Amino acid sequence: MSRRPPRGEYIETDTGNKVARKATLVGTQNIMLGGKTVIMPDVMIRGDLIRTIQPSSQSTGGAPPSTTAVSIGRYCFLSRGCCLRPPGRLYKGVFTYMTLRIGDHVFVGPGSVVQAASIGSHVHIGAKVSVGELAIIKDYVRILDGTVVPPNMVIPSFSIVAGQPARLIGEVPEGGHEAFELRNLYKTVGNNPQPAPS
Amino acid sequence: MAPPTNKAVAAPRWSHTPTTPLLLWLGVSLPLVAWDTGYMLMRPHTMPGGSLHWPLWVPYALYGEVDHLYGFKQWHLKNSFAAAQSLMNLVESLMYLGYLALWYSYGKPAAPGGRKAVGGRVGAIAALLGFSAAVMTVSKTVLYYSSTIARPSDANSPTSTEPDEDDRTFDPRAPRSNFSLYPLEYLLYCEDCHQIRCPRCVTEEIVTYYCPNCLFEVPSSNLKSEGNRCFQCPICIGPLAVTSVETKPDPGLLAAPDSASPHSGPYALTCSYCNWSSTEVGIKFEKPNSIHAQLAKLRNGGETRLTAKEQKERRKDPSYRPQAAAQGELGEAEALDLETQFANLKLLYQKQLADPNAADNGLAALGDLGFSSPTSLSRIMSIYTGGSLQDKKPKSRVGAMREALEANEGLQLADLDESAAIAQLQDEGLDGTASTSQLADQPPNIGEVHLHGSDRFISELRPIPYLLRTKRSKRCPVCRHIISKPEAKVQTTRFRIRLVAGSYIPSIAIRPLSLSSGSSASGAAVPGALLEPLKPTHFLLTFKNPIFETIKVTLGAPAKTPGRFASKVTVLCPDFEIDANTDVWDEALKEGGERDRERERRRRKGEEGSGGGSNNNHNQLEVGKIWERGRNWVSIVVEVVPASLTVEHGEGPLREDEDVLEIPMFVRVEWEAETGGEDVGTAPSKDKEAREKRELAYWCVLGLGRIRQ
Repeated sequence: MSRRPPRGEYIETDTGNKVARKATLVGTQNIMLGGKTVIMPDVMIRGDLIRTIQPSSQSTGGAPPSTTAVSIGRYCFLSRGCCLRPPGRLYKGVFTYMTLRIGDHVFVGPGSVVQAASIGSHVHIGAKVSVGELAIIKDYVRILDGTVVPPNMVIPSFSIVAGQPARLIGEVPEGGHEAFELRNLYKTVGNNPQPAPS
Repeated sequence: MAPPTNKAVAAPRWSHTPTTPLLLWLGVSLPLVAWDTGYMLMRPHTMPGGSLHWPLWVPYALYGEVDHLYGFKQWHLKNSFAAAQSLMNLVESLMYLGYLALWYSYGKPAAPGGRKAVGGRVGAIAALLGFSAAVMTVSKTVLYYSSTIARPSDANSPTSTEPDEDDRTFDPRAPRSNFSLYPLEYLLYCEDCHQIRCPRCVTEEIVTYYCPNCLFEVPSSNLKSEGNRCFQCPICIGPLAVTSVETKPDPGLLAAPDSASPHSGPYALTCSYCNWSSTEVGIKFEKPNSIHAQLAKLRNGGETRLTAKEQKERRKDPSYRPQAAAQGELGEAEALDLETQFANLKLLYQKQLADPNAADNGLAALGDLGFSSPTSLSRIMSIYTGGSLQDKKPKSRVGAMREALEANEGLQLADLDESAAIAQLQDEGLDGTASTSQLADQPPNIGEVHLHGSDRFISELRPIPYLLRTKRSKRCPVCRHIISKPEAKVQTTRFRIRLVAGSYIPSIAIRPLSLSSGSSASGAAVPGALLEPLKPTHFLLTFKNPIFETIKVTLGAPAKTPGRFASKVTVLCPDFEIDANTDVWDEALKEGGERDRERERRRRKGEEGSGGGSNNNHNQLEVGKIWERGRNWVSIVVEVVPASLTVEHGEGPLREDEDVLEIPMFVRVEWEAETGGEDVGTAPSKDKEAREKRELAYWCVLGLGRIRQ
């Protein structure tokens, strides 16, 4: 640590996103960040896996085809070494990728792979979790470390799931909603991180 | 009251002679009892070191070590049980002596050279006296032994009163503590009772039922009538999806024109996690929807079966019954499904209950015992049903219940022939059998045959319908007020009412504290590190005040943690105040965060610590002073000396989680609140701002970590 890097470890955007320089973002034009999102080093986001077939209703409407591969809300936290990958499936006989939508205050633990169709808000995904293709995770869900969420699984709100395959093991208590807030965690990383309040 | 011995008085030639064993027993026991009673009643003089100890009661020095009731241990506990027993001994002995004296002085030899016999009135008194004393001896001995048996293993005295549960230090290791400890998030708070409510002490009401897979809200009227829409894999409990069997093998071949039309042909349930398919157990569906109804008609293997409803209808149909009886062979009992068997049995018993003169006593031998008579049955039933059964029916009923003898009465012979299962096991091996967890997940198979030896193979497993989930509201059991109520809609996560304890009682955060004054090594301060035994460690407890009033917190912790390995605990500042929580916006709008921080820094280091604060050996730690304070939080220091986990010889090995260091802490919170609206009417306030003093006290347990072994 003799030489301090001239540039910060993170790129901080106007909307408050903190993206590590060492993160691998493929197809950045297809990745939407809502703001105040932290992307730690060694994170991979596969923005290149865009939808190849547009839904017929949308293409006839004349609107520009949506090429968003990954859409992330505010105050999300992507830990070191996790991977976001849009899910793929057969649509009318042809293979296509679908948009991976993530809400606000979503924590993705280190080493996790997420291929969900949608993740709600206030979701905590632990370390080394695999979220299978086209899984749907609703709000206020806690996925414990090492869980394998099978493809197509739907996890309703206020669930705590664990195991391989994922199984409901508990419910998020009424008093546990605030624990999903990631505002304080957001402040602890970046180029001039603040210590976590005690 | 006339004791039975009085009868003897009337007998003319009656006389009484003590037998030789009795005299021998009294000769041995009376001196012994006198010795023992003398020791007990003349304590402490007879105890070791006392003036009377030597020489008569020297052996008691040793015995007192073994039996604590005799030793100093219970003497210091002021246990009077043994002394009271000795007092009874004294009375007994005196009665025995009186008996002997009466016999000796009034008795005359019945025969020359024979033993003295005492008769008449004196003899009766002597016998009564002796008998009463013997009864006392027996009852006292029984009492003594039973109190020893009932005594807890660690030599607590049998009569020492246990302190009331509220006064006792909370023991986090006690088996019952598991049921009373919850993380703060799980606790609710009743605003009307001003009490914390835990998940065990609230009453729940179901607001909404919904399927966890498709999030479909099931109306409560349809819960039983309509089957679940979604299914789980019987092998891995993953979600099952309906797929077309035809299109599955080669998706590449499926061209666009074909896909435009809806998939046709049979459908199957497939698991995308373990690739199980319902075709493996021979279940295919004709339609992709209403899977539950189709599944109810299908056996594993594809053959159709009657649904439970059809079975019921068939049961009602009288034309079916003789037909079935004709079809079924006599030797082989026809296989009844569970519901039919139950209905048949019920019919049989009800018929017998209604018919008092049932002639045939199938179990006549038991009839005398009253087990199988309808009267006793209805009597037993009336115990549980509040007597309504008994009242309706006439009471004069005799005769026995007959058991089922035929299939249409509900007799079902057990199929003990397991050769098919053995052959299948040889064929498929252990891989073909289902695990216990898979069997436990299986739904009850309504409308299926009796379960003798079935459901042991994977090929017999059926798709599991998803258990519905619920949204529940919670009520305070005392005042019946709702303390938590979610929105009824499945998709919303909002709550109409959500009174969580975290917004009423202070939260406690624990952080290891490494004192910079010490060596530079901060190994102990790493969270999750093992605690070094016998090395003083400091922890920073941060109390955060969630309410908008200044609260006064008083802490109480035992100096030694309960359990086999007692760690020493010192709360350096057990009494402090926390400033009120303020609105986040107030704080943000208060310009000059710098100045605020300055003020905060000044206020830190406990200017308003209560005590003079005799300096501890550390330069920064001061007794009676808070460590740090902020807007609505206060940090205090707790010093812990973890116990050494060396197991002494003769004690049991270290039990599970016995190395976890947990501190029970009694927290008492006091604050002044504005009086509620209903209180104003009862007590006319002197001024508008009538303040009410509130307090809340509870035990909590702080887990500090594991001690190095």
